[in-house]
Amino acid sequence: MLKIEHLQKHYDHFSLDCSLEIKEGCITGLIGQNGAGKSTTFKALLGLISMDGGNISIFEKDIHDITDQDKEDIGVVLSDSGFSGYLTIQDILPILRNLYKRFDETLFLKQVHRFQLPLDKKIKDFSTGMKAKLKVLVACTHNARLLILDEPTAGLDVIARDELLEILREYMEADETRSILISSHISSDLESLCDDIYMIHEGKIIMHEETDVLLSDYALLKLDEDQFEKLDQQYILRFKKESYGYSALTNQKQFYIENYPSIVIEKSTIDEIITMMVRGKEK
Amino acid sequence: MKGLLIKDFKLMKEQKNFLLIILIITIGMSLFTNDLSFALGFLTFIVSLFSLSTISYDEFDNGNAFLFTLPITRSKYVIEKYYLSMILGIGSWILSICIISIVNIFRNLLPFSDVLMTALFILPFMLLIQAIMIPFQLKFGGEKGRIAIIASIGALLLSGIVLVKIASFFNIDIIFILNHLPVVSMGMLVSILIIVAGMLWFISLKISMSIMNKKEF
Repeated sequence: MLKIEHLQKHYDHFSLDCSLEIKEGCITGLIGQNGAGKSTTFKALLGLISMDGGNISIFEKDIHDITDQDKEDIGVVLSDSGFSGYLTIQDILPILRNLYKRFDETLFLKQVHRFQLPLDKKIKDFSTGMKAKLKVLVACTHNARLLILDEPTAGLDVIARDELLEILREYMEADETRSILISSHISSDLESLCDDIYMIHEGKIIMHEETDVLLSDYALLKLDEDQFEKLDQQYILRFKKESYGYSALTNQKQFYIENYPSIVIEKSTIDEIITMMVRGKEK
Repeated sequence: MKGLLIKDFKLMKEQKNFLLIILIITIGMSLFTNDLSFALGFLTFIVSLFSLSTISYDEFDNGNAFLFTLPITRSKYVIEKYYLSMILGIGSWILSICIISIVNIFRNLLPFSDVLMTALFILPFMLLIQAIMIPFQLKFGGEKGRIAIIASIGALLLSGIVLVKIASFFNIDIIFILNHLPVVSMGMLVSILIIVAGMLWFISLKISMSIMNKKEF
């Protein structure tokens, strides 16, 4: 569906070198700190900025050959951009109708009513949650095959985030060949939604794993100095000095449970995995 | 393209009061001054530049980034802006001819053929102003674009003055020549002006496309 191979973009104090792939029928998450390169990656694959190197293909087509027709199959949410705030939902209806041949106006209006978005109020006067929902609805209601969502949940409260993720789940349920690429710096959003997760740090992908595997096979070992010395470290991804000794991140929880029954092994959250991947040392 | 045009007309609703004031001023000028040509040009020039304000609206709050994720290309975006300028320009030009003609029936200041000829002379200048303004606005945006407006009007005036000065240096009285041109030659002159301005307008369109295609959002 979407493939990025060594996408490069260089700025004065930042360099991006990113590869990732989104398969048909999958929701893929891109997670990383602010400034890690998520938005730069999104802008490059949407053709908003030029690339300094690498290849991007969408629907098996090189990004430079993507036509207007192809763009109708992509729904986009950008965190810092959207329809002009001076327009109302009533205003954007005929715009969407004329831009997208397969715009599902009935579904759009149904969802607008469901989330109680006002039709004749200027978007600039919407709350953050209302703006975010509108953006996602616009992206979801023209029968796109691929959604590219950059921080769609940024700045939202828990309820609004839940409602928004619900829209995305419904979008996926409607057609199983659809795919989503979604970025966030809030890992719990992605944990419940994504099939696989890429972790980006300082412009580079530092990890790619299926969400199920992340949650089932990854774990944090809590070790004192002695335990750490004697530990078989072949499945340790990162370790960090702590007040009590060491904490270590593994992707083979079962191995350590079976071979080191005395060690404290805790299930790790995605946040903890990120922190270890970014802050921990490689063995 | 149609979607973009609808967007721009919806955005221009924001300025309907301003448009109304321009219309009232035009009607006022045609009623109370004896120089109908100014009233003719005023409405045409101001309204045809409304497309610039839609470019500002698009840029506001980084709106361009989202705009170019929609199923449109950057070239189509530029073509739409020129198209819009043309619709607004020609529309307001026809409207101003109608207003002036109606007022003229009552005031009987000029023969209708003179109103039409004056109106025709406004067209190439309308095209020229659009041809200068749109690429400036796309390249520099709202703030610097305004400086460009002043600069381009200044440059136009200056080139006019220089032209007259050069002519007077060679003892040619342009006003006298213009006033004494036979009507056929006037027709010829205005046709040439429109063709030249049309060509410049087209070149400007190409320049604007290359400006937009190089932009990063």
